[in-house]
Amino acid sequence: MELDELEQDALKEFFNMGLGMAADSLSRMVKKEILLSLPQLAVVDHRDAVALVDNKGNEQLVAVRQIFLGDLCGTALLIFPGGKSLELVRTLLGDDVPLETLTELEQDTLLDVGNVILNAFLSSFTQMMTIEFEFEAAEFLKADCNSLLDISAHKLSCPKADKIDNSQAFFLMMDFKTAEDELKHNSLRGYVVLLFSEQAMIKLKQEIARIISGL
Amino acid sequence: MAQQSILIVDDSSLARMMVRNIVSQTFPDWQIIEAANADDGLAKVKNQPVSVALLDFNMPGMNGIDLAAKLLELSPDMGIHLVTANIQDTMRQRAEAMGIGFIKKPVSKDDIVRIMGGGR
Repeated sequence: MELDELEQDALKEFFNMGLGMAADSLSRMVKKEILLSLPQLAVVDHRDAVALVDNKGNEQLVAVRQIFLGDLCGTALLIFPGGKSLELVRTLLGDDVPLETLTELEQDTLLDVGNVILNAFLSSFTQMMTIEFEFEAAEFLKADCNSLLDISAHKLSCPKADKIDNSQAFFLMMDFKTAEDELKHNSLRGYVVLLFSEQAMIKLKQEIARIISGL
Repeated sequence: MAQQSILIVDDSSLARMMVRNIVSQTFPDWQIIEAANADDGLAKVKNQPVSVALLDFNMPGMNGIDLAAKLLELSPDMGIHLVTANIQDTMRQRAEAMGIGFIKKPVSKDDIVRIMGGGR
């Protein structure tokens, strides 16, 4: 998707709003302030998206998937790399919970967190757009990076005429970092990745152009 | 009476355009001064008195809170408001503790009328 400087700036600002809302939701869950860095946004192809997700080795990544359909068809992924997901579960459930229990509760906890964060993110990201879409239920996934970021692997229920655009993905990186993590140089890094259908990419560009032209 | 002016500091040109649009429609007499970062904002108000300043929090370089502190030193009467997508309670409390306003992005016409309607 070709975007000029102002359109890119607009997209970044919408991401920024999405991120702010997502961080607020997460902060309420962990009862701590979430430190936000400047959003790092890239519109990339599949290969570059894989390279951007800091996947040391070929281990399985834990992710929460939220498929959306309607005017925008695609999927949002919240990816926790490198075993960091258990740290988030520990932060949410407290240090005194035994490891076995944490592991048992990992899936349900991350599903709850993912659902809240991705909903907050997408609702805020699209708040200035005149589009309607619905969410399917959030799902918990364990997969390698390559297949996780492959939009055709997500079996999206888009209208038949709407092709899946495998060439590009929106990619946003966010750190889930509390002030204590910052002191310990410990970061619970997570990624939000949006994969859109071809029609959704066109719709998004139209919406951005419409908002800018109204200014 | 001298023309009143408003300073908008935000690294996003879209965010600045949105505020500019609302201000110029609602308060056409006000002069609008824009800056893309804190240093530029500070430089622009040194020779130009400003009644209201809207500051983004998350910017490359100095953040909006630190900029607010510097602006208050320069001009304690300036009506300063933090404008941010980071709507966590701690951020709101930090603004309150400094005695500055807090506005959630995107800025609405109601926000602008509320803070500028009284002349500051």
